[in-house]
Amino acid sequence: MKALVFSRQPARYAAAMVAGSLRPGRGARYGPLSLRDVDPPDMPGPGWLQLRPRLSGICGSDLATIDGRSSRYFEPIVSFPFTPGHEIVGDLEDGRRVVVVPVLTCATRGVNPPCPQCAAGHINLCERVAFGHLEPGLQCGFCESTGGGWSQDMVVHESQVIAVPNGLTDEAAVMIEPTACAVHAARQVTAGRVAVIGSGTLGLLTIAALRRLSPATEIVAAAKHPEQRRWAKELGADVLCEPDELARAVRATTGSMVIGDQLTGGVAAVVDCVGSEATLAQALGVVAPGGTVLAVGMPARTTLDLTGLWHRETSLRGCYAYEPADFATAVELVAELDLGRLVSATYPLARYEDAIDHAANAGRRGAVKIAFDLRGKPPLLPALTRTMRGQRGQNDEDPPRGVR
Amino acid sequence: MPRPGFVLDVDRSTPPILFHHGESLRLERLPAGRSRVLYPGEPLEALDDPEGAIREALDNPLGDSPPLRALLRPGMKLTICFDDISLPLPPMRRPDIRQRVIEAVLDLAAEAGVDDVHLIAALALHRRMTEAELRHAVGDRVYDAFAPRGLLYNHDAEDPDQLAFLGTTPQGEEVEISKRAAESDLVVYVNINLVPMDGGHKSTATGLASYRSLRHHHNVATMQRSRSFMDRHRSELHSSNWRMGKVLRDAGVKIFQIETTLNNDTFGTSGPMAVLQKREWEWTARDRASFLAMRAGLDRLPLKARRRIFQAWQAPYGVTSVQAGEVEAVHEATTASVFRQQLVTVEGQTDILTMGLPYICPYNVNSVMNPILVMCLGLGYFFNMYRGQPLVREGGVVIMSHPTTWEFHPVHHPSYIDFFEQVLADTTDPVEIEARYEKQYAEDEWYRHLYRTSYAYHGVHPFYMWYWGCHGLAHAGKVIVVGGETRTVRRLGFTPASTLADALEMAEDVVGRQATITHLHNPPLVMAEVK
Amino acid sequence: MKLPRVPFPYAAPTVPDGVEVPAPPPRWGPDYDTRWARRYPARLARAALVETVGRGLVEALARPRVAGLDRLDVLERAGGPVIFAANHHSHVDTPVLLTAIPDTWRHRLFVGGAADYFFRTRVTSALSALVIGAIPIERTRVSRRSADRSAELIDAGWSMLIFPEGGRSPDGWGQPFHGGAAYLALRCGVPVVPIHLHGTGRILRKGARLPRPATATVTFGAPLVPQPGDNARRLSATIERAVEALADEATTDWWSARRRAHAGASPALTGPSAPAWRRAWALGDRDSRRRRQRRRWP
Repeated sequence: MKALVFSRQPARYAAAMVAGSLRPGRGARYGPLSLRDVDPPDMPGPGWLQLRPRLSGICGSDLATIDGRSSRYFEPIVSFPFTPGHEIVGDLEDGRRVVVVPVLTCATRGVNPPCPQCAAGHINLCERVAFGHLEPGLQCGFCESTGGGWSQDMVVHESQVIAVPNGLTDEAAVMIEPTACAVHAARQVTAGRVAVIGSGTLGLLTIAALRRLSPATEIVAAAKHPEQRRWAKELGADVLCEPDELARAVRATTGSMVIGDQLTGGVAAVVDCVGSEATLAQALGVVAPGGTVLAVGMPARTTLDLTGLWHRETSLRGCYAYEPADFATAVELVAELDLGRLVSATYPLARYEDAIDHAANAGRRGAVKIAFDLRGKPPLLPALTRTMRGQRGQNDEDPPRGVR
Repeated sequence: MPRPGFVLDVDRSTPPILFHHGESLRLERLPAGRSRVLYPGEPLEALDDPEGAIREALDNPLGDSPPLRALLRPGMKLTICFDDISLPLPPMRRPDIRQRVIEAVLDLAAEAGVDDVHLIAALALHRRMTEAELRHAVGDRVYDAFAPRGLLYNHDAEDPDQLAFLGTTPQGEEVEISKRAAESDLVVYVNINLVPMDGGHKSTATGLASYRSLRHHHNVATMQRSRSFMDRHRSELHSSNWRMGKVLRDAGVKIFQIETTLNNDTFGTSGPMAVLQKREWEWTARDRASFLAMRAGLDRLPLKARRRIFQAWQAPYGVTSVQAGEVEAVHEATTASVFRQQLVTVEGQTDILTMGLPYICPYNVNSVMNPILVMCLGLGYFFNMYRGQPLVREGGVVIMSHPTTWEFHPVHHPSYIDFFEQVLADTTDPVEIEARYEKQYAEDEWYRHLYRTSYAYHGVHPFYMWYWGCHGLAHAGKVIVVGGETRTVRRLGFTPASTLADALEMAEDVVGRQATITHLHNPPLVMAEVK
Repeated sequence: MKLPRVPFPYAAPTVPDGVEVPAPPPRWGPDYDTRWARRYPARLARAALVETVGRGLVEALARPRVAGLDRLDVLERAGGPVIFAANHHSHVDTPVLLTAIPDTWRHRLFVGGAADYFFRTRVTSALSALVIGAIPIERTRVSRRSADRSAELIDAGWSMLIFPEGGRSPDGWGQPFHGGAAYLALRCGVPVVPIHLHGTGRILRKGARLPRPATATVTFGAPLVPQPGDNARRLSATIERAVEALADEATTDWWSARRRAHAGASPALTGPSAPAWRRAWALGDRDSRRRRQRRRWP
């Protein structure tokens, strides 16, 4: 079967780092990712099922891996060679259409009794990600044993599948996994105003989730590209700004004062869906004393001045993946808001370089989510209409009137 | 004998016309046969002895006011208020006329043995003046005598302890002005009337007022009903101020108004800038050389350097009249004098109004002309330089020439940045802006802090800029900015064009082919009397 | 050996007894002819000297703070000759003023210099005339000749710088004004610009040998235009009052000075009439305007 495989090749990895820093997504061409004919993964044990992916999304963490931006932290908790892809909707052998909860928990690893986190339902915090009868891997898509979504065949544990309601399209279903992430993040935010940094898929979905979970919250969103602004507005952001205007927008919205680069007041919570050094510093600058900065986007090694964190008793906490309950909400949210609309283009595996380039430059090209289409007969071109809309958005210097 | 202003019909032999374009200059050829250019008159003769004229005016006041000498007595409270940095434009060469008047007033006060004197820069919600700017306005002698003792200061419209509420007009407009002025035995207001909008009761009722009082006339409804705000008798803005003036009078605030007018000698009759106020067909070889050199230099210099050069320019204005006494009588004489310099009669309206916007407007002296100020200068000030009816017909096109860069002075215009990024990104409709955002900006603690302690315009000030242009915005069918930065111009809700020819082409969609064009050759300031 | 005697007319004649030969008229002193110093070569040389050496010296020694030039604005536009009347502390006064007086008058300016001081010898006379453009004025008595000469020059469009005190201050306080400036102003119908100099005494007081750098202040006053009906005595008093008011302004502030001036209470230039030590003591009070030291951080 065909699969995109990411193998351990230090030289190519270094090339990917260089290429990725020159142009996002270029690591796909020079790096250790390649399209190969491989054997489908073996069944790791009882309770495992064969899955034929239908659509499989490209996530920000995938792009970081491909461009060599991932932290060394991951080294012991992934296993090479692996097939990426963890935003998966696919068919089981028995014909059920399911989405995959890709987190590999104690249950999937055959670890019994489960670790305290899994036992408590915090599957994302599983303490056994490198143990059990599976190779190390925090999710399918990073684990050699399970395969990943960017292939024609993979295996999933029965605890990992959630049936897709009949009315949902594949495009909508593939949005369920990222939406669950967003729901999980939104649940951490309790009250007050929220600022969301980043309006990629995760940022936009977080806005949608926040709007749904706490309707009264005022949401300030930083969005770079016109198409993102339009989506952010539609999904429920109250105040929109350019990323470098965030501090001013938060100041104006909260009416706070300024000391140096630091707002004296600010928003109760900042959801950072980018996770870079700059955005984390920005987040710490605009969060209110005693507030929370939620790192939803994956950070890496970072240098930050944490004096303000100490002085203002700010919390900086991570936010990874989801719990089973988040998925249930995500399914509802996706159905309600027809979030399948966010899938801007799909590509066959053979055009993976184009797909990854599109995904890595999605904002600039007016796209949101890019996915691989693995449904048998691949279309010749990526879904044309979506791309066209994206292209048009790219030329708009300013959002349409009345859109904020 | 200076020649009066006139209207030139453009024909094939008309040379290209000078357009100001921010910190640079353009020569534009207007279509022959359907264009006309409104030229300002030449600078009127200045008074030979302004100091003598001031003394004369103080001794022989207009209206039912005794001479200033008779109003001064030992033991009284005297407050002298003066116009701020927004006048005149560009700033006047030293000695500033305010200094001359204030020294004359103070000399009389010293003679009469007045001890308790305060001097207040009547800046309403404008930014505070810096020491250098105050020194320029009132002179070093007055500054050194009063400022160190805290007797010369900027008006603070946000200091609750220093404001006095004096009542409401029959229309329910609240009148609240500086407490010191309200409690003085005599307020002497020293004004510069650069355009007919300035002066009169607006000096005190606006210059010394608080936001609570200002919002009654600085709003969309008032500005919509001011046709134009340069024509006091048809300006709701002024009617409101006149009503407030009556409240002041009834509350016992005694005002001795001193108004001065300047000629329009903006760039001098000799020197590097002189060519800018000459008529193009009268440019000598030397003028052309200096223009070419200037333009070549400006084209090569970075924006910051160009801005420094222009902002450093001080105009050699001459004083054309000084009148003192009772506010309304004084203001009648003053406006007559302003009109004598600026008014030019024009026959009928036009389809397209073009204007070259210069580097300066009342709110960016020693600062940056940001996009909101561009809108205010074009659609607020220049558009309203008319008496009778607007120069451009309703639904016509206004074409402004200005680089319109996305740039703000971070100290002077903090709330402008937020206004531009937040409010204008949402809507450009003045009514909606007023309803949805004004309160938030006016009451923002941070803007208030910056206004009071730094050199920032008040948080609500960008709104007033937008309201200033609302009549023009509603009147014009389309606004095109030539040479403006695309995304900035779009944010303002206008249409960008790279050349004047393109802009005229675009205007065809609105006003049809062979539309008539009128160019406002400004600065020096000119005002149209449209028949 | 006896040399042959050269006979008259080859030798000077002998003087018969009982006859008194009048002394030849001295060519320096009050009668020194300074016309050459106002011809172009000399003017050019003077301008060059003043703008280079003079200005350099003044900047190095006095770093003068010049105030009140704006009061001359109208006069400057009108042009025409002016009499500048200043108080006098030091030899530095003249160079300071020569660099401070606006261009309009600076290069057509002559200085009234004491005939018995500046024009004592041929060399000092030539130097005074060339370097500062001085003409000799007799200060011991009212001299027809020096007055005529000055009036002629003023009528010819030259402006005059004069120190009406008649000499440098012996102790830091001023001396009563002489009437010369007022007389000339009335006679020629030109305005008088009062000037007050402060601090030059500290640089080079009378009797000091070496100059010491200090800061000087030059304050120009509003021009006094002789009114019809004025007499020299009254105008002279007015000039003195004006300089007094300027002194007050320079040491306190303009507003206080104006109030005192209108109340006739400006402190006199001549200081208290008291023993010398008290006069010296009182001098210290006049430097009230001390700049507050700016605190620097850290």
